[in-house]
Amino acid sequence: MESEEGSVGPLREALMVCAAAGMSGTLRVTGDPGGAIHLTDGRVAAIETPGAPGPEVLLLRSHRVTEAGWDDAFAAAATSGGRMRAELVRRAMVGSGELEGLLRTALADAMFVLASGTVEEYRAEPGPVECALPLEPGAEPDGLLAEASRRIRVLAALPGRNDRGRLRVVAMPVPPGVRLGEGQDEILALADGRRSPRDLAFALGRGVYATMLLLVRMQQAGLLVPVSARAFAAAARTPGRTGSGGEPQDVGGLPQRQRDLPAPSRRLRAPGRLPERLMPLGLLRPRTGRDVSPGETS
Amino acid sequence: MSSLTESLRRVMAVDGVRAAALIDIATGMVVQSAGVEGRDFPAAAASMADEARMARAALGPGRPGGDLDEISLVTDCRLHISKVLDDRLGEGMLLFVDLDRTRANIALASRQVGRLAPAVLA
Repeated sequence: MESEEGSVGPLREALMVCAAAGMSGTLRVTGDPGGAIHLTDGRVAAIETPGAPGPEVLLLRSHRVTEAGWDDAFAAAATSGGRMRAELVRRAMVGSGELEGLLRTALADAMFVLASGTVEEYRAEPGPVECALPLEPGAEPDGLLAEASRRIRVLAALPGRNDRGRLRVVAMPVPPGVRLGEGQDEILALADGRRSPRDLAFALGRGVYATMLLLVRMQQAGLLVPVSARAFAAAARTPGRTGSGGEPQDVGGLPQRQRDLPAPSRRLRAPGRLPERLMPLGLLRPRTGRDVSPGETS
Repeated sequence: MSSLTESLRRVMAVDGVRAAALIDIATGMVVQSAGVEGRDFPAAAASMADEARMARAALGPGRPGGDLDEISLVTDCRLHISKVLDDRLGEGMLLFVDLDRTRANIALASRQVGRLAPAVLA
């Protein structure tokens, strides 16, 4: 059997069992970046992961919806017991089709991020799904995994480095006569050599994969140049640019924020077969007072 | 039934339509689809998104001739109409419609798809 890209294989194993059982609840994925996949009747309703912006971030950071408008809609939905999605549409803040499109693209982006990372273990937690903007009806897991595979293949086929998730870039002067395309001016303003594609995606309210593709195109156009990890470390070691803890203080001439500091090194594990105790056969056992391990008999 | 599914069903009712899909221009992803699709449809959709991006670039600085509205592609047996939808998020969406050339008139199909397009994201 042909091996699947990234962590698509382990995710497929878990999601197929949940889909076959028509599970409603949460599949918690531990790894880098890890996250929670919320399922309704075996279909994916929402994904929360620190690796990709969710619908709320996409709507607010892109200024598609104002924060005040979001807060009002949220309060109204909470008061009436209604749904946030219906409230946003009722207030004409976003179209029903547009919001559905956003939810579907956000799910695909989050699944891509999970599949591009590592999966150490997963655990199914049947129960009610609680998230602000679930997709209803949910997306087929198969379709999301196929899209994640396609994205991984597209990025792998592009020339240059293959760890694009960790790529840092700095802006170059825009040549005279060059007209910046969609979102490129915002990228140039934020590309300071410290922000990863994920950081840029969160800052701009764009998908991580879309941001990676945009960064590639801008590099090809000479608008951005990558900063190597070695250069980044050298800048951090430069006297006067290093704090007491050894962290870079002024890389790129801009003040350093906590969220921009390099992530601590993590133990990376290549995706592969999961330990026997984590195999999905027993995943759907309802949890009782304690955390019942999948292979344990009650 | 989802809002997008309902919208694509209306597009499918246009004479000669074999398939209809909503494509995200920024990623090339098929957001939702209806009708006959080949196995290579996701790759084809990504190519259409690239085509829309290149067409926009070809319109030149400031787009003096106006923004991209539609791309039509005619082959021996098919008509492809890609209508750019007014989406204020990201790079926008394409409403892609695949028609049987023997059963459709390109001008009429373009007009009918154009009439249905604004409601897709509404």
